Amino acid sequence: MSGWIIKGLKSGVVSTHYPDGGENAQGVSPGLPSPAGGVGVDTPIGRCPTSALKAKDGGAALDKFRCVHCHRCDRNVEPTIPWDSSYEWAEKRGKTPELPKAFQRSTHIRVLDAGDCGACLNEMKLLNNPFYNMHRLGFFITPTPRQADLLVVLGPVADHMKTALLKAYEAMPAPKKVMSVGTCSATGGVFEDGFMTSTKLEDIIPVDVVVPGCPPPPLAILHGLLLVTGREDEIRSDATARPAADSSGKEAGDA
Amino acid sequence: MPNDTIIFASIFGGCALGALLATVLKGKAMRVAWAGFGCLASIAMLALGVGGVFAESARHIPLWTVPHVGPVSFSVDHLSGFFLIVTALVAIPAMIFAAATTSDEKARKTPLAPLSLVLLASVALVILAADVFLFIVAWEVMSILIYLLACGGPKERPGYLMLAVGETGTLAVLVALLLLGSHAGSLSFQAIQASSAGLSATLVEVVFALTFLGFGVKAGLIPLNFWLPEAYTAIPSPIMPFVAGATLNLGLYGIMRSNMYFLPTTFAGPGVCMLLVGAVTALIGILYATIADDFKTLLAHSSIENAGIITTAFGAGMIFLSAGHKAAAAMALIAALYHLLNHSIFKTLLFMGAGTLERSANTRSLDEMGGLLKRMPWTGLFVLVGALSISAMPPFNGFVSEWLTIESLLRSVELSSMGLKMVFVAAGAAIMLTAGLAVTCFVRAFAMSFLGISRSEKAANASETNRAALSTMAAVAVICFVLGVVPTFAIPALDRVVAPVAGASGSTALVPTFFHPDTDKLPKKFTAEFHDLGAQIGKDAIPARGMVVMHRGGKKNPVVFAMSTPYMFVMLVVLLAALVLIVRLATKNRKVSRRPRWDGGVRRFLPEMTYTATGFAQPVRVLFEAIFRPKVSDRRESIAQHFRMSIQRKREEIHLIDRLILYPLAKATKAVAAVFAKMHNGRINAYAVYALLALIIFLAIAAAL
Ligand code: SF4
Repeated sequence: MSGWIIKGLKSGVVSTHYPDGGENAQGVSPGLPSPAGGVGVDTPIGRCPTSALKAKDGGAALDKFRCVHCHRCDRNVEPTIPWDSSYEWAEKRGKTPELPKAFQRSTHIRVLDAGDCGACLNEMKLLNNPFYNMHRLGFFITPTPRQADLLVVLGPVADHMKTALLKAYEAMPAPKKVMSVGTCSATGGVFEDGFMTSTKLEDIIPVDVVVPGCPPPPLAILHGLLLVTGREDEIRSDATARPAADSSGKEAGDA
Repeated sequence: MPNDTIIFASIFGGCALGALLATVLKGKAMRVAWAGFGCLASIAMLALGVGGVFAESARHIPLWTVPHVGPVSFSVDHLSGFFLIVTALVAIPAMIFAAATTSDEKARKTPLAPLSLVLLASVALVILAADVFLFIVAWEVMSILIYLLACGGPKERPGYLMLAVGETGTLAVLVALLLLGSHAGSLSFQAIQASSAGLSATLVEVVFALTFLGFGVKAGLIPLNFWLPEAYTAIPSPIMPFVAGATLNLGLYGIMRSNMYFLPTTFAGPGVCMLLVGAVTALIGILYATIADDFKTLLAHSSIENAGIITTAFGAGMIFLSAGHKAAAAMALIAALYHLLNHSIFKTLLFMGAGTLERSANTRSLDEMGGLLKRMPWTGLFVLVGALSISAMPPFNGFVSEWLTIESLLRSVELSSMGLKMVFVAAGAAIMLTAGLAVTCFVRAFAMSFLGISRSEKAANASETNRAALSTMAAVAVICFVLGVVPTFAIPALDRVVAPVAGASGSTALVPTFFHPDTDKLPKKFTAEFHDLGAQIGKDAIPARGMVVMHRGGKKNPVVFAMSTPYMFVMLVVLLAALVLIVRLATKNRKVSRRPRWDGGVRRFLPEMTYTATGFAQPVRVLFEAIFRPKVSDRRESIAQHFRMSIQRKREEIHLIDRLILYPLAKATKAVAAVFAKMHNGRINAYAVYALLALIIFLAIAAAL
């Protein structure tokens, strides 16, 4: 009966140190082609299926809100494109006021699947597991928007989910925040010109934070959550990271 | 006495004249005659009843002598006085309600007014009858009138069923009363009562079994209560409040009359039987009430439940009496009578509400109602009062009587027999479970009809009923409230009814010894306040009777239980007001924003998507699956065996009694009939043989004699 208690005590703390330190366990991020490393002139821009790569200054620039980590740009190219295996991709948008102090450390989230393929939802779900454990940071999932402070939208907002999205946003009491998770809800992603989507999330309701990635790894979502609740100062990625094996991140996104 | 003449003339003459006028007149005049003469008769009954309860001894009024039968007479004693009061309290508002809600068309189709007035007179006759002949005649008249009322509906089955089962009961009662009469050598109740002490144990058992079974039919006790839900739904709703409030009582009247007066109170057997049957009836009744979809069926099952509770309390009283615990007996009997009174009142109210709902929303199905509070606020308020009363919530009357019932069941610790104690424990557990389920049942009944959104077109177009009907409901609701807040006024009157039988006053005997007026440890002025069950604490503050109901246990558990509904009511008001005030203050600076309801984000929100009555009862269905034993059958439709198009699930609940008793009985009867059917083979020579055989047998018998 008490076997699981003893096992639990033996294994100690397995949760990630993030945001107290960086996390470099293997496979925590699929990574992005790094523009900082300089995407070469001979980068095959045309290969990119989502037009994430654009010609710029004779080289190429990456729109990280479009990249789906497919590695097509990276295949059989010399020299290889530098790959950034970080995960702090979220960016703030909009100028809605910060959440009041009382809500920042206890935030209730309504997750709205607006037609996602299941990948983002899966990563969202991982935040509940012992490794990412978002409860330790005061994030909770709630089924009803009436109790939610934050609306997390996944997927390209299919036409059929638009009503539901608007209703959920309407039903939330102020102060409320919206976070867009995944390439699809940021730009439409691979569904951009699809027959069942007409516009991206930011055109429908005001968005506060956008998390790119297809799907964004749990840590990227966690980063977004910290940004959207105004808790950037808690993130200390520069602190000592947990020692881990070399993370290439490549295997996660290998097509 | 001229007084009696006037009263009896008002009761029976009033009903007859009213019935006559109501047949002749039409429209408004008919209504006025109906309500007016109904009220006149009821008020006369009230006067007679009050006189009976407060008189020192029973009053016998010989009428005339019927050839071959003997003298017939009326009598008014404490018990019949009490039942007259209950009937009158129910009849006054119920008759006005009936007159106010019967449509002209309905009145033309069924002669509701004359039937109901004659029914009122027959109820009075049953209560007043003081000999077997008159009693049985009155009983039969009443049964036939209810049958006629039940036949007014579209179906014939409920009426026939009721009559068939009812006649079985009447026969049993008749046999029992004749047995008693032959023992006493007279058919008058007075003689039967006088000779009760000399009954042999076997005769007591037989008479008890027959009367309990026979009167139990009318009271709705198991096993012969399956007619009740069907008949209650078939009887037209204007007259239903009266039928529910007044006629179910008569079964209990019969049980009480025979056990308190006709049979010696020295045997524990009848009490144990009543206790157990009552508890089981209560539990089964409330279980089926909780899952019923039809509002009237729900109320019918709840009547069964309440009859069970009353019988339990009464049985407990009889057990205490046989064991010599007079004070406890008095208290249990008071609880039984008080619950009977309360049940009549709130069931009348609830049936008025159900009738109004049926008329306005044009449906009886709870699944099809919803959201009616917005359209029928007053009806909603009164039904809420009824629902709170019946689920034993303070400050309404159901709370007091159920509290007294459960307290008196707890007094069983004083009994010496271990077996009896176990019986009490079982019955007490069943009654408490019943009380809990009753809350579920009536939360469901009220919420599913009045709250939420309308789940059907009919409910969405409902409108409030007329003023006269509303004011009768208001009057009954007020009675519920008054009986719940100042029970200390009613209890001494009930004490007068039970004290002669119990041999002790439930009031005085139950005051804690250290407060007893005879004690010299406390100042006389102080102890003077404690001289009955309604202890007079606070007499100086409020110039009325005492406001605390208190009683103590016996030597073995000298605990004092006290309850004060008036103070509780005051506290409730104060606390609620304080709560409202605090919330107001705390949220004074709060901004309120209103948004549409959260419906899960569906495109079109349909009423059927909300919680239905069936859904609300599902937990109870699942918990008590072992009792309900539903028959679930699935029908699957598929194309080419692989592509499932639909699954239809049908769920059928056959009532426990039907399943365990009636169906096997019917099967056995059919099997016997099948054997006899073989004799009817249609061959003429076979019939000739039968005739010949019959002749030979006859001749043989004749020769032998
Ligand atoms: S990884 Fe794929 S999606 Fe991302 S930039 Fe390269 S080609 Fe485009």
